Amino acid sequence: MANLHMVGQSVIRKDAWTKVTGQAQYASDVSLPGMLYLKIIFAGRPHARILSIDSSAALKQPGVVVVLTAADVPVNQRGLIIPDQQVFCAEKVRFVGDQVAAVVAETAEQATRAARLVKIEYEDLPVLDNPLGAMKTGAALVHEDKPGNICHQVRLRRGDVDAALAQADIIVEREYFTPMQEHAYLEPEGGLGYIDEQGRVTVRTSGQSTHDDLRQIAAALDLPQERVRVIYGAIGGAFGGREDVSIQIALALAAWKLQRPVKITWGRDESIIGHGKRHAIIMRHKWGARHDGTLIAAKVEIISDAGAYNYTSGDVLTNFRYAAVGAYEIPNVSMDGYAVYTNNVPGCACRGFGSPQATFAAEMQMEQLAEQLGLDPVTIRLQNCVRDGSMLATQSEIPRGVSLPKLIETCAHEIGAYRQAGGWRMPAASPAEERYKRRGIGIAAGMKNSGFGWGFPEGSEARVVLHGVAEIERAEVHTAAADVGQGAHSVLAQIAAEVLPIPLDRIEMVTSDTADSGDAGPASASRLTMFAGNAVKQAAEQALQRWRDEERPATGGGRWNAPPTTKPDPETGACINSISYAYGAQAVEVEVDIETGEIRIIKAVAVHDPGRAVNPQQVSGQLQGGIAQAQGWALTENFITQGGYVRTDRLSTYLIPTILDAIPDIKLVCLEEPDVVGPFGVRGVGEIGFIMLAPAIVSAVHNAVEVWFDRLPLTPERVLSALLPTSG
Amino acid sequence: MDNIVVNLTVNGQSYRGETRPNQTLLYLLREDLGLTGTKDGCSEGECGACTVLLDGEPVNSCLVLAGQADGREVLTIEGLAQNGALHPVQRAFVESAAVQCGFCAPGLIMSSVALLKRTPNPTAGEIRTALGGNLCRCTGYTKIVEAVQRAAEELKHG
Repeated sequence: MANLHMVGQSVIRKDAWTKVTGQAQYASDVSLPGMLYLKIIFAGRPHARILSIDSSAALKQPGVVVVLTAADVPVNQRGLIIPDQQVFCAEKVRFVGDQVAAVVAETAEQATRAARLVKIEYEDLPVLDNPLGAMKTGAALVHEDKPGNICHQVRLRRGDVDAALAQADIIVEREYFTPMQEHAYLEPEGGLGYIDEQGRVTVRTSGQSTHDDLRQIAAALDLPQERVRVIYGAIGGAFGGREDVSIQIALALAAWKLQRPVKITWGRDESIIGHGKRHAIIMRHKWGARHDGTLIAAKVEIISDAGAYNYTSGDVLTNFRYAAVGAYEIPNVSMDGYAVYTNNVPGCACRGFGSPQATFAAEMQMEQLAEQLGLDPVTIRLQNCVRDGSMLATQSEIPRGVSLPKLIETCAHEIGAYRQAGGWRMPAASPAEERYKRRGIGIAAGMKNSGFGWGFPEGSEARVVLHGVAEIERAEVHTAAADVGQGAHSVLAQIAAEVLPIPLDRIEMVTSDTADSGDAGPASASRLTMFAGNAVKQAAEQALQRWRDEERPATGGGRWNAPPTTKPDPETGACINSISYAYGAQAVEVEVDIETGEIRIIKAVAVHDPGRAVNPQQVSGQLQGGIAQAQGWALTENFITQGGYVRTDRLSTYLIPTILDAIPDIKLVCLEEPDVVGPFGVRGVGEIGFIMLAPAIVSAVHNAVEVWFDRLPLTPERVLSALLPTSG
Repeated sequence: MDNIVVNLTVNGQSYRGETRPNQTLLYLLREDLGLTGTKDGCSEGECGACTVLLDGEPVNSCLVLAGQADGREVLTIEGLAQNGALHPVQRAFVESAAVQCGFCAPGLIMSSVALLKRTPNPTAGEIRTALGGNLCRCTGYTKIVEAVQRAAEELKHG
């Protein structure tokens, strides 16, 4: 690999200093003189017809300026992919977080009080609280303009799965379930809407794509996009939960109508019902293999709870076309997937975008097969995992540079496994100190695509301007790329500094303002370091060339286009679905308390391939963060809904890992196999740390107590009821 | 409801203000004093993003009434740096890459400062116990523990 001087350095993040002093300004930290406050009124019920909205009592309250409803929205539609949701509900509400109206008042307290006085009469409708019921013929309709509640259906057919199953030496057929997950970014939604100096309706908020937000605001307000502006300041986490709009359109509407600055801040409970969740998914698997462990067939049915609105349900489901069989090459695959409307909180993007769910099921299938065939978990994975030249279920060859076999072997070594005749020997777990505790070790492997794929045009815009006379005194890097906490702005500066002959501190990042830059694409799909990185690299190279041609200042930039992918065949799913993947293998040692059902993770090994780590310290931060978030999904994060009502709308009831839960001993190993697409060989690492931890934990638990779990989370109650002898 | 008057010292400066009796210290700091470094992550004392030092003790300012701070000293994240020089804990968080989105950082830093004042040589276990009331969703906490250990080292050597 080429000798690089800036890429590969663990330089300090540019924005860290303002964050540790309290100077960094997040969405709710900014105010303007003469500001009003916006309070959104949620449906508060899962499915009902709106009979009437009476704002008269609210309007009489001191300080109240206006109550906005559907009638105030020029084009009452919203939706990132499909505009199947309204800005304010007009005829009916479809989930508890649906927005029905909004009060604008002089103070936040006045707006909150007045909001309680808006009288809304509802006629409750039958609630569809799970996708199995909702997909039945004759079920009540969530969207009455649709023939049924199945909002997406996808198929994949490779080879002849029924013939292959008939020939299989062994068949494993099981059903798995993974629950919703709340992103629980620390910063609840908020923002400031105002008219800027050029008369543009402007929203300053926290999100994942300034341009996606802008497009939806402009469409709803029926304004040309040049009359709208979106700016991001410091963002307190996202993980996919800010991909869809939450407060942006209501805020822009209020500011535009009133021609005054308007502020909104959500409480945690508003945040939890107000944005989407990781899709809860039922996965039915029937796999066939030979005696020697070779996988020959996989028949899969996926039923995903889309919730009340589409958000990105079709895209998550589409990802199952490659992801349903995990990181394995299987010559005969059939997949039928359904995303189903219900009256639950909508499913949306959440770190991994379907891959964690898919990987959980696929890895548990591998564990079952290994046990029934008498094979060790390392051998069966090495035998079947993807490698260079492998064909994916989408009948396209996997992009070159597949490091997965090496990662699995390294992970196995690191957890204490070793090669022996006939395979690998997994280590015994260390002895527990107490007699009521049991320890076990488990291993898992996985992969995750970077970028959208599936034929979506993919790319990113950036601009670099070089100032100076004889030498470059400073460089501006303009990108709308969102730094949601992952450090995008810092690593993009490093990439520019690699290309330009100047030190890092002469680079100024100008970021996240639609008035300044073109569309960088969202902070999602592990794509920004790769795609925005390529755009910045290209822009810097161009600017440098023009500098050398005596242009002053010298400007380079434009759109970098990713190598194309292709659309899936509707029947077979065949296509070139992705140009880049991240890989990983993780192993854990767990300790199960058989009297309380509590699970403690003693240590973990995580082996990943960042392609080329731009900033190794940031990469390890991403992986450690992904591991912790996956640990929560697997063990303590129990998102409870009953009849469409959310019972866990606070951090006191929805339990994310604390520092006391964090795995005290994580051995992180990064092996770099350069990616063919990423700048300098970069691979996206935003999601991969999350992807395979849950099945590693569940396998380790099985190793400890010889109980299989096919659903998450492994709460103490669930573990205990599986351990206690059944009565009678 | 009549307003109340509170007198307190915030980051070494005296402050006298009027506020509602049911207003929180968090609100007073952010809205009345414009000190937005202290964050509201949950409004119920679960996340610790609102942690400040009240007479040297870490508290969830969202659960402290403004009136309860009357006559007392408050230290927020904005008051940590002295004469433009960052506190070793602040520096350690930056150098250990313990800051990703940073929303939890002010609260964590304040809790860490309080810990190191009372326990200058904390074990990893003591660090975790002291920071158990501060949630972070980005880092997985590994580098946060490292940052506090780094700060303890630096403070030890002066």
